Amino acid sequence: MTTTVQTREKVWHNPRGWRALTVVSHTNIGRRFMLTGLFFFLVGGLMAMLMRAQLAFPDQAFMSAEIYNQLFTMHGTIMMFLFALPMLEGLGMYMVPKLIGARDLAFPRLGAFGYYCYLFGGLILLSSVALAMAPDSGWFMYTPLSSDVFSPGLNSDFWLLGVTFVEIAAVTAGIELMVSILKTRTAGMSLSRMPLMAWYLLVTSVMVVFGFPPLILGSILLELERAGGLAFFDVARGGDPLLWQHLFWLFGHPEVYIIFLPAAGLVSTLIPVFARRPIIGYRALVLAVITTGFISFGLWVHHMFTVGIPKLAQAFFSVASMLVAVPTAVQIFAWLATLWAGRPRFSLPMLWIFGFLVVFVFGGLTGVMLALVPFNWQVHDTHFVVAHMHYVLIGGMLFPLVAGIYYYLPLFTGRMPSMQLGRWGFWLFFIGFNVTFLIMHFTGLMGMPRRVYTYEAGLGWDIPNLISSIGGFIMTAGVGMVLLDLVLHGRYGRKAPANPWQGDTLEWTLRLPPPNWNFDTLPTVNSRHPLPVFPGHNTDASTEPMPSWLPDMSHGRRETLGCHPVSGKPVSTIHLPGNSWWPFVCALSLAVLCVLLLIRAYPLAAASATLSVALLSAWSWYNGPRKAHALAPSDPDQPPLHFRGLDSPGLWGANAGLMASGSLFMSMLFGWFYLWTVAPLWQFPEQTPLHWPLLTGVALLCSLAAWGYRRLLTPPKQGLTRSVLIIAGAGALALMLLVAQIRLAPLAVREQAHDAILLVMLLYLLMHVGVALLATLLQARRAALGLVSAELSYELPIVRQLWRYAVLVAWALLLVLIAFPLSWGVY
Amino acid sequence: MLRIPPHHPIQLPLGLVIWATWFVAVYGGLSVSCALAAPDPAAGPLTPINALLGLLTLVVTLFLLAMARYCWRGASAPEAGEHAFIARLAGAAHVIAAVSTLATGLPILVLPPCV
Repeated sequence: MTTTVQTREKVWHNPRGWRALTVVSHTNIGRRFMLTGLFFFLVGGLMAMLMRAQLAFPDQAFMSAEIYNQLFTMHGTIMMFLFALPMLEGLGMYMVPKLIGARDLAFPRLGAFGYYCYLFGGLILLSSVALAMAPDSGWFMYTPLSSDVFSPGLNSDFWLLGVTFVEIAAVTAGIELMVSILKTRTAGMSLSRMPLMAWYLLVTSVMVVFGFPPLILGSILLELERAGGLAFFDVARGGDPLLWQHLFWLFGHPEVYIIFLPAAGLVSTLIPVFARRPIIGYRALVLAVITTGFISFGLWVHHMFTVGIPKLAQAFFSVASMLVAVPTAVQIFAWLATLWAGRPRFSLPMLWIFGFLVVFVFGGLTGVMLALVPFNWQVHDTHFVVAHMHYVLIGGMLFPLVAGIYYYLPLFTGRMPSMQLGRWGFWLFFIGFNVTFLIMHFTGLMGMPRRVYTYEAGLGWDIPNLISSIGGFIMTAGVGMVLLDLVLHGRYGRKAPANPWQGDTLEWTLRLPPPNWNFDTLPTVNSRHPLPVFPGHNTDASTEPMPSWLPDMSHGRRETLGCHPVSGKPVSTIHLPGNSWWPFVCALSLAVLCVLLLIRAYPLAAASATLSVALLSAWSWYNGPRKAHALAPSDPDQPPLHFRGLDSPGLWGANAGLMASGSLFMSMLFGWFYLWTVAPLWQFPEQTPLHWPLLTGVALLCSLAAWGYRRLLTPPKQGLTRSVLIIAGAGALALMLLVAQIRLAPLAVREQAHDAILLVMLLYLLMHVGVALLATLLQARRAALGLVSAELSYELPIVRQLWRYAVLVAWALLLVLIAFPLSWGVY
Repeated sequence: MLRIPPHHPIQLPLGLVIWATWFVAVYGGLSVSCALAAPDPAAGPLTPINALLGLLTLVVTLFLLAMARYCWRGASAPEAGEHAFIARLAGAAHVIAAVSTLATGLPILVLPPCV
């Protein structure tokens, strides 16, 4: 059947007006992420300029120390949490389906939900500035400075709740990108043919899934300490402030690479195009990206070299910090070799790539200097570190980002940028940046500390600070010029021809700008370079006509191909959900909860939390397949609908979500063992407050539920509703035992960190058992309505994973909280 | 772990996961050992803690090198085809993990554990 353009537009229609809030298309959500990120970038930049104005001259009274504290805290927070990562994730969400030959991401509604969480979280955080209550303890929120004793107002609460809310968006985007790249590539796009940008984003998304939960845990613990009086970081009650530093930097150092890798992916995409030859060292680059992703998790203590850790431990982290420079250097040499062997064109995006190479190499080298413990001690907390950090982050992220935006501008708007304005923008920014931050290294070496709002004249810091401030304003003029170019090009820019930069990847086969569904028919690829733009280098590309996929849209479903994660062979047709209010409504409900927690209206917050759970459950209900859709006959020439199998994107998404939760759980266990061994006043009570028969009962019942689900996966599935209800019964009993365990345990959570952390772990298990039980009850109802059956059983393995994870946590807690301490004789 | 086929995608991160586990084990092991029974600083690096951590480092390094050899052999098998990409990459990742383990563990030879 022929599908007309009108049919495609009807299926992929995006409403306007207030119903635009229902749009879930990756193109729109990606653009919204980027535009919102740009707004936050301008706010953060304005704060930087205010700080530079204050520091331009000694003994200035332009602003008070309190305001300065709020500014440097919010500048760092906004740039890291509200600009850098959301911007790159937005670009990833916009680009990934176009790069890998898909019509949309695997979970369009999750992407929309993440965007609204990001928007609301960012606005909550920013509202603190308008209310003159902005966080003021630094973007790393070190305790005890950020504790209720030393920061009694709501300032730190804004940070803890707002940032946690934003992190939900980051993790959802990470899950979505990971599953989309692994499961929705077009036919023939095996791992070895995947564009490098997809490799970079895949590694980044895995890092996000594992890297963010430690900070989410830290924020929850600190908020519980501030608002509820629980003891985690208070030495007098058996806690330790260094636990916060560990949790923060367990997130914080990978975060630097989480920001750098997508930007480096842009560099690896652009350099071959402008060098007019394929990248040299594709495999070496993939290897370097994977290695960077891992080793970056082993460096966190290099932010803590001055806190009194044994020298041998410092040496481990010092070596690891130097090691991470090796894969980065491999990438830089591969880029230089490609440029050397190619015929480079110095178009506008390449100017920014040039800026990246210069600035980032410099920042990387000062990074190796800082990896050396004695030097690190010497410049600790000075402006040298500020300069290094900006060289790495602006050099490693902003320069490639602007290059990427210019490169993809024809895709965004169908028009070309102005080379003249763009060059002015680049040179002003590049010169301004180096004037600001190169000199700042020397200011730091001369001993000027960070985070001081002013300084005395005559210390030798006057002239360097003035130069840095002048440089800052030149850089701002560069930003203004780039923005002017971006705004004007939409109206006056030359219409982009097809494939204007002669790119070799699939996105350049699209119309400029592309339609909402990207591809009319999904292509088959048989090369790393689907577009033959590198003469003499497309030897592996066959000239045979290749089959195209999913041409028919007359059934009204939004669809994309589901592939084997390694070979790229099509295995299913993934039905994608359409526009919906659920993401917006659920995010709004969570935002209300966040505000209620912030103002400490706890009864209302409890009601709001219940409402949020109800709304999220309803979303999950309506997100499932409707019977007519699920059982409708599909084209026999195309792969079967994903409802018909067990290996659905939902299962991959659930697994990715559980990996994130697992990272949080591991952080929790780290906290338990850390406080046990390191906290100076940690105390075990005489007897364990836990009742081991109750916890054993919980573990056994959860195991029973998981086993029951395993049996459901083997046909025949007669009596499905009854079987699911029996499993739910076991789950309900487990939940009751767990509640009894919590109620019966004599926990003095405000007096001892031991009891506080015990409570948090039990509540964590309670949450997982509760979620698994709720999903099981919903599934029983769905089975009764025929929405889950022998023909439509793809939801069963998803809920099974929830039970399997609850089993893992229950037995782990039994081992860690009861068996292990008893074996050491501490009770 | 050597039984996992050399072209299985889990091989790609596996070596570095082992490196990360070793890293946590030596850092955690060092901290716990020092909390329980810190040796005399005058003994320098010649302590049971250093010996244990050093032995662990050596064993993990050798194991990772064996895994690398296993993957590379799998990559050169005639039926490897598309899977050779993963096997070769995994072999190289295992070597990187082995080098990282050895390099990160070198300070065990020269520094006292708990000072």
